[in-house]
Amino acid sequence: MYFIYICPVDSEFVNKWKSQVKKGTLTFIILNLLKKQEYYGYDLIEQIRQHTAMEVAEGTLYPLLNRLKNDGLISSKWVEQASGIPRKYYALADEGRRSLTQMQHFWEDLENAIKHITEK
Amino acid sequence: MKIPTFQQDATVKLYQHYINRVKRTVKTLPWRDRDDVLMEINSHIHEGMQKANETQSETEALQLILDKLGKPEVVFKPLVAERKLKQATITFNPLHVMKALALNISNGFIYLVFSLLYLLQLTFIFMVGAKLVYPDQVGLFFKNGNFHLLGIAAFDVRERQGLEEVLGNWFIPVMLVATVLSYLLTTLLLRLKRKK
Repeated sequence: MYFIYICPVDSEFVNKWKSQVKKGTLTFIILNLLKKQEYYGYDLIEQIRQHTAMEVAEGTLYPLLNRLKNDGLISSKWVEQASGIPRKYYALADEGRRSLTQMQHFWEDLENAIKHITEK
Repeated sequence: MKIPTFQQDATVKLYQHYINRVKRTVKTLPWRDRDDVLMEINSHIHEGMQKANETQSETEALQLILDKLGKPEVVFKPLVAERKLKQATITFNPLHVMKALALNISNGFIYLVFSLLYLLQLTFIFMVGAKLVYPDQVGLFFKNGNFHLLGIAAFDVRERQGLEEVLGNWFIPVMLVATVLSYLLTTLLLRLKRKK
């Protein structure tokens, strides 16, 4: 006797949607992490993975950090290490703090709206 | 730049190959930006190797880090495109402008519009050339005191329509100034667009 087992694999549509949501929230996640402390690139990737269980396309993180820096949301500095290979630390800038507060408000409104819609 | 220490030749080769690809991708950037990108990737590789799983061989560990970073040609393209645009609008160097537009054309329709605006400036240059070939027929023509035509008009047409050429010997200098001014204006617009 055979059983047909349907594996609950996400459809292509859901996968696409997930990747869009991830892309859209990555900046928000990064700014929130940097609110608490400074991180260097590799550490930041690990933090994102730990907090969100999200696999970040690692290479794309650096151009993103560069854009946030150009927009004045974060700052960066090189810090010498005993290994002789310095780390580039990123920190939240004042402009970033202001933007983050606005983003936070938007996020809460959205969260409430979605809760409201899904409960119905 | 101090590079991570590797035990095996194969790992060194793998590292060098990847770093060379990064170098090639970012070679059009100013040296300060170039060094910044290279140092950051170098640091990423070093930190990754420190935290590598001990059951893996050194080469496997590096390969995994590089795979996760992705192809330099793809990953760093947006970074190069963005910095190139910044450089172009600060220096006003036509070569930088051309490269920046080529890199950014896939980032939106607006950059195609800018490319066309820059192409329009060739019109003024073309007019200078035409004036040298047909000095009597090319000019800026007014009719009853209002602008009518920038281009070529044969004698009989001019007489029939009552056109008057207004620039005379000033035609070529005015066209050159117009080229420079429209170039500066377009580049300033590009700068505004980038900052938005």
